[in-house]
Amino acid sequence: MIYLFQLVNGIGLGMLYFLLAVGLSIIFGLLHFVNFAHGAFYLLGAYFVYDMTERGLNFWAALLMAPFIVAGLAALTESVLLRRIYHLPHTFHILVTVGLALMVQELVIILWGPVGGNVSTPSALSGVLMLGDFIYPQYRLFVIGLTLVLAIGLWWLLEGTRLGAVVRAGSESTDMVSLLGIDILRVNTAVFALGAGLAGLAGALAAPIRGVEPFMGVEALGIAFVVVVIGGMGSYTGALIAGLLVGIVQSIMTTLWPEGARLMIYLGMGLVILTMPRGLLGRA
Amino acid sequence: MNRASLHFLLAALIAIALPLFMRSGTLASEVLIFAMAAAACNLLLGYTGLLSFGQGIFFGLGSYAAGLTLLHTSLPLALALVLSAITGAVVATGVGWLSIRRQGVYFVMLTLAFSQFFYFLAYTFKDITGGDNGLLNIPRPAIGPFSLGDSWTYYGFVAVLFLLLFAALQRVASSTFGRTLLAVRDNEERARAIGFPVRDFKITAFAISGAVTGLAGALHALLIGVAPLSNIEYHMSESILIMTIIGGTGNLFASVLGAGFYVIVSDLLSSIWPRWLLLLGGLLIVVALFMQKGLWGLLERLVEALPMGRKSSTKSSIEAPIQPESQGRGI
Repeated sequence: MIYLFQLVNGIGLGMLYFLLAVGLSIIFGLLHFVNFAHGAFYLLGAYFVYDMTERGLNFWAALLMAPFIVAGLAALTESVLLRRIYHLPHTFHILVTVGLALMVQELVIILWGPVGGNVSTPSALSGVLMLGDFIYPQYRLFVIGLTLVLAIGLWWLLEGTRLGAVVRAGSESTDMVSLLGIDILRVNTAVFALGAGLAGLAGALAAPIRGVEPFMGVEALGIAFVVVVIGGMGSYTGALIAGLLVGIVQSIMTTLWPEGARLMIYLGMGLVILTMPRGLLGRA
Repeated sequence: MNRASLHFLLAALIAIALPLFMRSGTLASEVLIFAMAAAACNLLLGYTGLLSFGQGIFFGLGSYAAGLTLLHTSLPLALALVLSAITGAVVATGVGWLSIRRQGVYFVMLTLAFSQFFYFLAYTFKDITGGDNGLLNIPRPAIGPFSLGDSWTYYGFVAVLFLLLFAALQRVASSTFGRTLLAVRDNEERARAIGFPVRDFKITAFAISGAVTGLAGALHALLIGVAPLSNIEYHMSESILIMTIIGGTGNLFASVLGAGFYVIVSDLLSSIWPRWLLLLGGLLIVVALFMQKGLWGLLERLVEALPMGRKSSTKSSIEAPIQPESQGRGI
């Protein structure tokens, strides 16, 4: 029974990892831009929910608003700063986004203190679900349900809409897309905001489960990289499978060997690289 | 005087000048220790084109290797240092071997993931590493007839090692091996087509870089008497990389400038304001936007601006052109 419990836990965790990694993945796909500030958007999403609920705002309102505020901030950052450095080598992309991540982390500490805090589960979902012997917190089930709906929505957005077509075409050749009369600068901003918003949402959803602390951004960045490395960069399905895999491995290991749970994730990544250098579903 | 000798002279001048201008022997030693780590990072970044986010692994493991040797055995200091260099080299060979299976951004992400792996490894095996507390009470035994107890005596020891290693790294960089690394950096496909064993060269560069970084980590552990968990953390890798890029990747001496700047400024700022990393973050963005050749580039421009310095302004020949992004597209 404990393993079933941890398996469901792992699916929930894995779906959050998917949201985090797929944002990183589509930003890279279109912009060829390594975003080391991706964890910072996750951090901000979590802290916005924390701050709003501390001020007495309804959790649901906070959960709805936080990702959009994060996306807005990301759009601003992209159009004011990042746009100017796309033409530089990767070293400078990394330098700038590492700088941004540091600034966000320090601002979070200045605004909310170094200790962090807890976000209480919304009262409507604070109970547990009982199915015979199986007892499970409702909020975590809600997270699984919501992220599933989002995953389907995102798939439709990328595969079935005009924006998705532009993003996919842009991943192949940005120049060709702009020659076809599409304002690629606006698409870039939109995609960056979307990816960051997804990270923000993952942070917001994770806040009631794991609490908030200023260094959760760095940890999330490491996890997102592992998921992308395992799943293959630019692959939606890869991010989904790898996210779930990492989440489930981490959860199950928490029962078997609590101290080594996170160690196992990175060990697993090493094994994948050793056997499949391109990742599970990587294209290049 | 050729460029390498000039840079060595500048490095020696810095090693001599630090005691004259600084009050703390510990801080001065820290400058030179990180100068070694940054120069080793530069061998990968500037000379081979490998942006490694895993330098903290070798630094931290070097600290642990020296600490464990001195705590649990009665081996002499010199041997402890050699052991940490070997640890750094061996692990760097492994990390390098795995990471260079992927190129470009994937390579960077892999090195970062490995640095997380080793951090959790050190964190998990608390019995060996001391976990969060670190390895405490590492002794600093005498080397031959010289006691290293006093912080300035220790500085002297670090300075000698620093100059030896700096000269050795310069030799590596100017050797056929180093020249070939530049060829790999500038056009890997071509280097491979000509017939260079690109993979072996990259792994060798990793091993050398790991050895030097491991030794620097050992010296750091001896300096503070502790091998802290923070020496193997993500933040350590990040700091070493930042020093290297701030200094400039054109030549090895630039890394000494970068390390000196980073260590001294962070010491200064952190005593004034605990949230100084905010300013550092801003500085990184400024460097990327306006100072792409780092402090060394700034220095070069200053020397050129001086009327008498015009003739001695030597454009460094290994400087990579800032390549358009299209170069990185294929990864």
